[in-house]
Amino acid sequence: MPHDDLTLAFDTSAAHCAAALVSGGQVLAHRSEEMARGQAERLFPLLEELLAEAGAGWKDLGRIGVGIGPGNFTGTRISVSAARGLALSLEIPALGVSTFEALAHGLPRPLIASVDARAGRLYLQRFADGADEPPMLASSDSLPSDWFAPGVRVVGHAAPELAALLGGQPVPAAVPLARAIAAIAASRTADRAARPAPLYLRPADAAPPRDSAPVILP
Amino acid sequence: MSETLTFLGLESSCDDTAAAVVRHRPGHAPEILASVVAGQEELHAAFGGVVPEIAARAHAEKLDICVEQALARADLRLSEIDGIAVTAGPGLIGGVLAGVLCAKGLAAGAGLPLVGVNHLAGHALTPRLTDSVAFPYLMLLVSGGHCQFLLVTGAQEFRRLGGTIDDAPGEAFDKAARLLGLPQPGGPSVEREARGGDARRFALPRPLLDRPGCDLSFSGLKTALLRERDKLVEAQGGLTRQDRADLCAGFQAAITEVLAEKSRRALAEYMSLDPAEPVFAVAGGVAANKAIRSELETVSRDIGARFLAPPLALCTDNAAMIAWAGIERYRQGGRDDMSLAARPRWPLDTRSPALLGSGRKGAKA
Repeated sequence: MPHDDLTLAFDTSAAHCAAALVSGGQVLAHRSEEMARGQAERLFPLLEELLAEAGAGWKDLGRIGVGIGPGNFTGTRISVSAARGLALSLEIPALGVSTFEALAHGLPRPLIASVDARAGRLYLQRFADGADEPPMLASSDSLPSDWFAPGVRVVGHAAPELAALLGGQPVPAAVPLARAIAAIAASRTADRAARPAPLYLRPADAAPPRDSAPVILP
Repeated sequence: MSETLTFLGLESSCDDTAAAVVRHRPGHAPEILASVVAGQEELHAAFGGVVPEIAARAHAEKLDICVEQALARADLRLSEIDGIAVTAGPGLIGGVLAGVLCAKGLAAGAGLPLVGVNHLAGHALTPRLTDSVAFPYLMLLVSGGHCQFLLVTGAQEFRRLGGTIDDAPGEAFDKAARLLGLPQPGGPSVEREARGGDARRFALPRPLLDRPGCDLSFSGLKTALLRERDKLVEAQGGLTRQDRADLCAGFQAAITEVLAEKSRRALAEYMSLDPAEPVFAVAGGVAANKAIRSELETVSRDIGARFLAPPLALCTDNAAMIAWAGIERYRQGGRDDMSLAARPRWPLDTRSPALLGSGRKGAKA
């Protein structure tokens, strides 16, 4: 029988394979392995190790929490696809949690969460006192002007540099990634119909064909 | 193993997201209980070809929905399925990964065996799904991504007699359509135009026809077409509709002639095995081209082999063939554990020398 509150969370949106199993606010098992490749092969064996460690099986799960990025496109899809397959076979909800939300978990606001977007750019989201602002892709020379505020907290990738630039202060994440995803997923209202989807924040690299079509004469 | 098997198949190696349910009772013809294919043509149309990242994004968000639809159409629950078969390569890795991980989630959660399937084996075993053909048979796999002659002697025994050393014909059709301002996919567009054209007006090459063996090449043909097009554009400032029809007809005739001659050679090699009921089967989208199909049919009849072209929906990418190949592999004891990898490159025949791709990454297909 599934326990409504037994939540398995995992994330492969960057060079790691991270997972956590939580129940009633307690972390039953947690693992994070650094790896640049091979997450597709490692993810399920890792999840099975976690379940075994807690003496649980797949059918005991009440819900899934999955990291939706932003980050590595392929890595994000690895976890999201796995979560959607599990949600379907176990008939339990799968909830997508962004890296921004996970970084901000348990930290006071206002707060800016930052994720490496490569090539000198950053994925950023500001959590204001009131509402969460939409996430964005930016470089450090194109930050919104109203972000420059003394004392603003910055968490995540390049937090010290970004905080120095904005006149704020860097703070460490309060909870490791997979555990934060699990906690957030466990606290949300579950909707079986909602399916997790990757948060890309960047369109696919694609260009229209170079060859132009010839003129067709009448 | 003689029990009835019902398998769910997943396919996501190119630009079709597909799920299907196939049942097989030994001694009876296999039954396709459901086959769902969600194409992505419109997503790639603006780019004149499949964009891998766009394809991968679509697969990741469509695959579980296709699975639900296939189960609903088959009126089955996952608990009534005996195994999950999934394309584990070769193909566009982003899509293959989405399929493999979704399949692992399904298999783990439902406690079902997982069987990784080679996409090419799916195509190559389709004649057994549709027509219960016996081994050995000759298979021409001719699509947008592949072109090879396979001698199929068992559910996991394939010998490649030859294949393309560069482009696949489907790819060549797409490029030709692009060069001539015709819509994608190129195969049907070129075929339509070719009907009103004169195939003899332009002297297009027949690549590799003068060499022995069954290998093919289509890249030079495309370049020759481009050269003829540019000559006309330079002389008249564009192409007339007749020019375009003639170019299409010439292009299609060249591909047809090359495929027919190489098929003749592959058939001769196959017939030397003295098969009891000789069968020459084609699969892949290019097999839908009527001119090519009718020529291959003639070649096959001349040599005394039964010609078999499965229905188009089972010739192009689909998941019924993956479910079926999964059943065949499973019956021979094949299954995978949760560390199953997605492979961009995965030749069916590992003994014959590689035609495409080499070096560190190894052969492609």
